[in-house]
Amino acid sequence: MDSLDNTSWDVVVTGTGLPQSLLVLSLSRSGKQILHIDRNDYYGGDEAVLSLSEAEQWVKNHGGDASERADSTYSHATISHLDAQEGGAKKLGFARAYSLALAPHLVYARSNLLPAVVSSRTHSQLEFQAVGSWFTITAPPDGSPPRSRLTRVPSGREDVFRDDSLDLRAKRSLMKFLRFVASYDEENEQQRMEQLKSLPLSVALKQHFGMNSTTAVAPLLALALPTVSEIETTVEFAVPKIARHLRSIGIFGPGFSAVLPKWGGLAEIAQVACRACAVGGGVYVLGKGVMNATRAEDAEDAEDSKLRLELTGGEKVTAQWLVGCPPDLPHTISTPIPSQASSAEYMAKNISIVSSPLTSLFPPTAEGGVIPAGAVIWVEVAGSSSPSVRILVHSSESGECPAGQCVLYASLRGDPSILDTAVQHLLESVGEQPTPKVLWRMQYRHYTETEQPRGTTTSEGVVMLQSLSTDIVLEDDVLTDVEEAWRKIMGERAEGFMKFESREGVEEDE
Amino acid sequence: MQSHGIPRVAATTLDKSEQARNKERKQITQYQALEKDVVDRAELDAQVKAKDYSDATFRLTSQLLTQNPEYYTIWNYRRLILQHVFARELAADEAPSEQDAAAADKAGLPPAQHEVLLLIKEDLQFLIPLLKQYPKCYWIWNHRSWLLGTATKHLPAHSAVTLWHAELGLVSKMLGLDSRNFHGWGYRREVVLAIERLSSNGDGEKESGSGNMVESEFAYTTKMIQSNLSNFSAWHYRSQLIPRLLSSRNADTKTRQEFLDAEFELITRALYTDPYDQSLWFYHQYLMATLSPANKQAEPVLEPCGRAEQARYLEREIGSVREMLEGAEDCKYIYQALLEYSGRYLEVEAEGEKVTLEEMRGWLRELRGIDPLREGRWRDLERKMGL
Repeated sequence: MDSLDNTSWDVVVTGTGLPQSLLVLSLSRSGKQILHIDRNDYYGGDEAVLSLSEAEQWVKNHGGDASERADSTYSHATISHLDAQEGGAKKLGFARAYSLALAPHLVYARSNLLPAVVSSRTHSQLEFQAVGSWFTITAPPDGSPPRSRLTRVPSGREDVFRDDSLDLRAKRSLMKFLRFVASYDEENEQQRMEQLKSLPLSVALKQHFGMNSTTAVAPLLALALPTVSEIETTVEFAVPKIARHLRSIGIFGPGFSAVLPKWGGLAEIAQVACRACAVGGGVYVLGKGVMNATRAEDAEDAEDSKLRLELTGGEKVTAQWLVGCPPDLPHTISTPIPSQASSAEYMAKNISIVSSPLTSLFPPTAEGGVIPAGAVIWVEVAGSSSPSVRILVHSSESGECPAGQCVLYASLRGDPSILDTAVQHLLESVGEQPTPKVLWRMQYRHYTETEQPRGTTTSEGVVMLQSLSTDIVLEDDVLTDVEEAWRKIMGERAEGFMKFESREGVEEDE
Repeated sequence: MQSHGIPRVAATTLDKSEQARNKERKQITQYQALEKDVVDRAELDAQVKAKDYSDATFRLTSQLLTQNPEYYTIWNYRRLILQHVFARELAADEAPSEQDAAAADKAGLPPAQHEVLLLIKEDLQFLIPLLKQYPKCYWIWNHRSWLLGTATKHLPAHSAVTLWHAELGLVSKMLGLDSRNFHGWGYRREVVLAIERLSSNGDGEKESGSGNMVESEFAYTTKMIQSNLSNFSAWHYRSQLIPRLLSSRNADTKTRQEFLDAEFELITRALYTDPYDQSLWFYHQYLMATLSPANKQAEPVLEPCGRAEQARYLEREIGSVREMLEGAEDCKYIYQALLEYSGRYLEVEAEGEKVTLEEMRGWLRELRGIDPLREGRWRDLERKMGL
């Protein structure tokens, strides 16, 4: 391969995570000369998928307090092998049989990403699967040792109708709340929303919707997936999230509101996006990052006024634009992620491989509907002052593990040790004999980036994209951020963001 | 025309680019040429042209109908062609080929009939993609019906019934895609009737209870309701099945009462979940109507069903519906139901204490407030009820 030294580009993009990959996808038909690099030797950046052996390597690079690179989004990574202890039939499969996602996300049917995937003609290379049922695990209020109870969350009128645990009054109250949620942003509900918005959701439900039992509250909190404790979850936060869930149901099929991309989630989308850029002429190099970026003070011509970048191997390239997320940009431009931050700044995360297909978590989405590949569990932690644990469960249908096993992704803004307990509660409550076991576990911390200066205060020619949040739902602002960046590069009056015609000679099945 | 959110034609992305427009223009020209060709051939000009029932014409009708299944004249013509072919096959004198004879033997049919069966199956197959794209086109369902009817006429019961069973599978799938497509429900009733008829005329083989499908159909309505409460067609079908269901179960007085109570429990549960859904109130009204001997459209469920039973249920339901008001004070259907049942109650039990005129006037006032556009109707009601 020719050396990169002394090459000149229109756009240099550093990092192959989702935001950067979506940007290069949007530029893939623009004719711009794009160099897309990643300092890792794998694709996907912070959203990468890892096989078991890749995970071992990743943990080596991200373990401990002071990780090798202070600008890493992840730290404190550890792995526990647990199958060796149980001399049972259930064992881990081959390392390559696993594709574990570092940052699994729910993609709601109403998310702006999906229409963009269609209009950019990349949807035929992706397979999306249903995330079907939502469950809660609640501890009994009297504080007795949690005999974990797994309850399915009713997601709409027919669910409420069928739910035997709700008496007539409870059905009525729940429906009343769901109707409010369905039109919370309309004019006729403005007054009520104004009145309720700062109340904790649980209090509003009790006082204004006649929902007295605490068991009725948990499912609604689950749909909002808060990262803070129950008492801190306000109506203002929760209602739009519940509305998003309800409004997404049925769009791609009855009975489910969100999807997950097969074969490793967002990394798969990133890969497809990068492929599209490569087809459009983009050049890809792994194992390279941008160490330094400068600009000549008194530039005489256009060529001179370009950014001067120094890459990991010492290569010097010039570029009109440099794009990346904060962890990938040189320190002269962005401040590094603090790794010694207080606990409020990170999300404790945990990936567990479990020895059972956990079939009871994946009932068909509707009569004659699809079998989902994902489920969401919200685990109440004893004492309402703690935030709850959210667990995404992916079956082997997601392509992330071999048949007969599941991958559990647990996250919590709090003490990492609670994660294991929550996973244990889940496994005990599915009602399988013997209780399913965790065969392998990886634990790590995911840091939120601190506020970064963006827009006009950034150096000229440098476009900073926001990293994905540490949360588990893909928000619309990821794509709007990419669109803003696209507009900076293509010009304010550019049109047709992510709208492409199919390439000549490429057959598309409608 | 869109009904309950499901478009008449399966949605395809509308592409208004110049490229697409040109493509469309070409399609229109081709279609017009095709149409002219078929219509010319169909010309019943007795002197000059014989009616062209050739295979080539048949294929042209296929092409034309694929592009425009609403063109019912062409469906008629297609049927004329098929009729002609069937008559020819059935009257055939020449011996069939060895292959055909062997296949017919395997199917347990004389060769001529087997030929007809194959042609019918082929045409049914032709209809499937059309049905997927145009699930609400009357002519497609019509043609299907005709094909099945022809099969029943010309073929022995055991062959025909297999086709009908396949139809049941198809219609269940269609209803799965759009549970409120009334074509689907009407067709389902036709299919069930045909299967029952063919199964009981049988070759001695009878299922327990004369091969009737009323139990499975009743269970089907339960399933459909549970997946979508607003399914008016499902509730309606359910109401149609009840009299036969009870007689096929040989239900005695006690069983009938338990059944009616269970149905009231079901609909009450649904109404608490969504009192704003009109299809649920229709079913409640139907159940109440079974209590009135004067109502010829609703066969009684209870046995016996006299004044005492009527009064008792009216009292109970008025009480139940009254409780539904709590938390749904703006639901006009509740007030309407209360007024209707109260009126009936006072007819049955003139000295009844469950409801007062004052209360009824209050409900009417609420109704007027909620639905002022129908003021005329409420005034009529007021007069009629003497409030």
